[in-house]
Amino acid sequence: MQRLIRTAALTAILLVPLVTSAPADRHALNLAQAATSYTYQGTVRAVNARAGTLELITGVGMSLRVVRMKTAPTTRLVAAGAAPRLADLKPGDVVRAECRRTAGGLVADRVEKLEVGAR
Amino acid sequence: MTRPPFAVALLLLAVGCQKPVKPGDPLRELSRAERDRFDRGKVVFDSVFTPETGLGPLFNATGCGECHENPAGGRGDEVEVHATAFRAPVCDPLAQEGGPVIQQHTTPALKQALGIDQEPFPPSATARAMRTSPVIFGRGLLDLVPDSVLLAYADPDDRNHDGVKGRPNRFVDGRIGRFGRKGFVPTLREFNAGAYAAEMSVTNPAQPTEEDVGGKPLPAGVDPAPDPEINQEQLDLTDDFVRFLAPPTPLKLGKDGRHGRDVFSQIGCATCHIPTLRTGYSPVQGLNNQEFAAYTDLLLHDMGAELADICLGLATPADFRTEPLLDLRGAEHFLHDGRATTLEQAIELHGGEGSGARDHFKALPAADRAALIAFLKSL
Repeated sequence: MQRLIRTAALTAILLVPLVTSAPADRHALNLAQAATSYTYQGTVRAVNARAGTLELITGVGMSLRVVRMKTAPTTRLVAAGAAPRLADLKPGDVVRAECRRTAGGLVADRVEKLEVGAR
Repeated sequence: MTRPPFAVALLLLAVGCQKPVKPGDPLRELSRAERDRFDRGKVVFDSVFTPETGLGPLFNATGCGECHENPAGGRGDEVEVHATAFRAPVCDPLAQEGGPVIQQHTTPALKQALGIDQEPFPPSATARAMRTSPVIFGRGLLDLVPDSVLLAYADPDDRNHDGVKGRPNRFVDGRIGRFGRKGFVPTLREFNAGAYAAEMSVTNPAQPTEEDVGGKPLPAGVDPAPDPEINQEQLDLTDDFVRFLAPPTPLKLGKDGRHGRDVFSQIGCATCHIPTLRTGYSPVQGLNNQEFAAYTDLLLHDMGAELADICLGLATPADFRTEPLLDLRGAEHFLHDGRATTLEQAIELHGGEGSGARDHFKALPAADRAALIAFLKSL
């Protein structure tokens, strides 16, 4: 029984980081939102603060893709200890963007700038 | 009373008499089920794709085995093209123009539609890189070396003043990388899934969207196979085959080779080509907590202007990940682009952080140089 509990605990410990650090273009886990909600984690390629657009580089291995999204007045921008503006993001920054697909393309609901060290 | 010593002697004899692992062999300690997946994975690895089964419309190879051959998992003679743009300090992998892997072949349908024989070279590229196909033996072991070990070897500010720095690369999402000549890709699983997409344009559950043509959408009708073009089981089997490929057993060292191994350490090669690494936990016994001959620190080092080509992630044009020295005895070309045809040339082309060891090598008496080469040829 103890072994079973240990195995279950170890499995949980191993799976949590897998889920929370899922590759960039994995669909959000909420099944109710699966059709329209996406989370991307990638490097900022371009920012146009005036147009409210953001381009991220995501991908798998050496197969990379560009993901383009718009921001809205309601988009929340988050960074460690600060609330940055879109114009504060720059190429090379790593961000996690929670988006939904609309008729006009991807729209970001939340963009978080990540501190990944040694960049 | 004599049984335990007898059993130990028998065990030592059995270990001592184990057949050496040959290039292309699986890990020794695989269970029957794992060995079965290795064998089935090899079939997928050796598959040849056609446009009808998912190949292209842009591609470098028609199957994994075309570039990793003789035996499966070994070297190939193909050389591919990569391109990126370096605008210091930021590296653009030019994904919007088809980079970083620029496919060198097209299917007949794409050729007919666009009149091209290969993907156009990205107009924004600041550099072109040639890349040979490395052996992929022992990659399952490299995959399992904990990030903490890599970080422990890193010395980005050269605090020990030995002229060798070393720092990890990072993938686009910020995770530490280790696979590829620039150490860009974090895991073996992702490298394999990405290779299906980037080398063969075979879409799969991890990368379900097709490569475009220099950043432009595919013309209608040139990609007849529905996405994903291989399923999860095929991807998993390929991954298991590569993961379970064992590093070949080094040849038994003679007196010269043993001396060469000492010279290797004395002149500083082992500062970056760390002789042994240890894996962390794995449910696969043959990969779990294993010490193995790696001869790499999986970190980026500045190798000097002469070798510099593209940037990738945090790697500047001159930065390369320390190449694991595996199956050197089977190699006919050396370095990331195969420009060296002998081990001596490869060492002498080391610049930047490798220049100290290179200069020591060049200053060695001929006998010591020969001993070092004899050691390397045993790997």
